[in-house]
Amino acid sequence: MELLILNGLVNGLIVGGIYALVGVSLTLLYGVLRVVNFAHGEFVIAGSFLAFVLFSSFGVPPLLAVPIAAVVFFAAGWGLYYVLIPRLARSDDPELMSFLMFYGVSIAAAALLLLLFEADSRTIDYTFTPVSMQVGPIYVSTARLVALAITIVVSIALALFLFKTLPGKALRAAIMNPEAIQIMGVDIVRLSAFAFALAAALAGVTGVLIALVFPAFNPFSGAEYTIIAFIVVVLGGLGNPVGALLAGVLFGLAEQMATVFLPQAMAQIVGFVILVGTIFFRPSGILGVRFKR
Amino acid sequence: MADAVLELDRVDVAYHGDIRILRGLSLKVRPGVITGVIGPNGAGKSTALKALYGLLKPVAGDVLIDGRKVTGLPPWKFIDNGIALVPQQRSLFNELSVEDNLRLACWSFRRDRARVEQALERAYVQFPMLRDKRRDLAGSMSGGQQRFLELGRALALRPRVLLLDEPTAMIAPRVSAEIYEFVHGLPGQGITVLLVDQNVRQCVRISDHLYVLELGQNKVDGSARAFQQDAGLRDLIAEWVDYRIDA
Ligand SMILES: Nc1ncnc2c1ncn2[C@@H]1O[C@H](COP(=O)(O)OP(=O)(O)OP(=O)(O)O)[C@@H](O)[C@H]1O
Ligand SMILES: [Mg+2]
Repeated sequence: MELLILNGLVNGLIVGGIYALVGVSLTLLYGVLRVVNFAHGEFVIAGSFLAFVLFSSFGVPPLLAVPIAAVVFFAAGWGLYYVLIPRLARSDDPELMSFLMFYGVSIAAAALLLLLFEADSRTIDYTFTPVSMQVGPIYVSTARLVALAITIVVSIALALFLFKTLPGKALRAAIMNPEAIQIMGVDIVRLSAFAFALAAALAGVTGVLIALVFPAFNPFSGAEYTIIAFIVVVLGGLGNPVGALLAGVLFGLAEQMATVFLPQAMAQIVGFVILVGTIFFRPSGILGVRFKR
Repeated sequence: MADAVLELDRVDVAYHGDIRILRGLSLKVRPGVITGVIGPNGAGKSTALKALYGLLKPVAGDVLIDGRKVTGLPPWKFIDNGIALVPQQRSLFNELSVEDNLRLACWSFRRDRARVEQALERAYVQFPMLRDKRRDLAGSMSGGQQRFLELGRALALRPRVLLLDEPTAMIAPRVSAEIYEFVHGLPGQGITVLLVDQNVRQCVRISDHLYVLELGQNKVDGSARAFQQDAGLRDLIAEWVDYRIDA
């Protein structure tokens, strides 16, 4: 039993780290741009497919796919921003329209992935040596440990950026007071494009990690990650990056521990129970910091 | 030299939809003095200021800086033109420190370290309390202190024009008096002021030229002295002052 629990904890951390990254990128996007990205899961899964193509067609190992995905998705996000957002800004209710627009983007992205990769589930056949490592009394696959390490490095880098650098503080300032950031002489369009690109880069990297951690993915997996991202964002408090990181880990841990203690079908529900509970009892997220408009 | 450093020329502004909040509004910010803008609640004073600062784009008419048309110029370009705004709504970043709030105002020259340090120093000299509180979160300070941070942050940039929207709203009377004295002294430091205020008495007292707005239009304008002497205008003002709880 102790082994099972320890297993649950370790896997909870690994999976939770992924959820944290999925959530933090969505919450940044919402916080700075006030857009609801329904296509977030597709962005993430596109990262998994990028890792897949890089490895199966060019022999690029997943570890190297991480920085490549970051750069490719950053650039794609930057471009996509200028294609999508100026149109939104012209509408009467940008926040509501963002729902519809990104729902459309989500469908289009999933369809495109389907066209390119077909409906089969894909796996990256890359194996680390050794295949697994001993953590105390249990064995964990090296791929998962590598993914955890990358998650931690990315999270720390992101936190340092947001809390220690002026551009990072400007991003947080834009979340705290979107009108005031403009009178500071900050070009809000560029800052928003940067936020979009950063969120896309994080999503792409997360996709590569997903390819390492989970056995398989397909073009439909996106929707699943969109839902997870929403749960994490709400748990962490809208537009709160630190909250999202914590919430992701908490959610991953809860989900994995549930698989230890509860029947398989029940474990699936845990996430939603936590979500509904949070909305009822802590509507401003687990950290309880009221989100300022 | 143009007779106005900043100007609205027959401007119409609409929020979403077709309802025009400002209709043909014209307003000149005269160099070297304080221009006051008064009018009842909802007259469009703040809207006029937002239009002046590029935060709202006019559907008709023009915005001019030094007589040059700049209609549609985005707000972040105004700082480069030496124009700073302290809006009616709190413009601080509550969960950033006082110093970080000041540093963000230096965004456009953030790589010029010496200049940034000078700007910080200017704010700290202007309001020494800010130096003591520089590591505190902006949101943790009192209302008056937050207002001083907003003023210090605007002045750190050495603007030639400062736009102020109700600088003493919801501020304790003693601090209010201090703020008015401070604003009154700005032209002496070479800073042109546009003061939008609900405190009519004070606004009339320290302004050189006054605009009265009503329903998004110009009602009257003239020298503040004329306002104090003209019985009709005094009555008009007295009328608002009466139905204002805070006056
Ligand atoms: N964001 C907005 N969307 C729609 N209408 C608005 C918005 N902001 C203000 N208004 C409307 O525009 C009109 C003018 O508002 P404004 O804030 O400019 O008035 P004001 O003269 O500054 O009043 P106050 O003395 O209360 O500050 C009001 O009728 C107000 O309801
Ligand atoms: Mg106002």
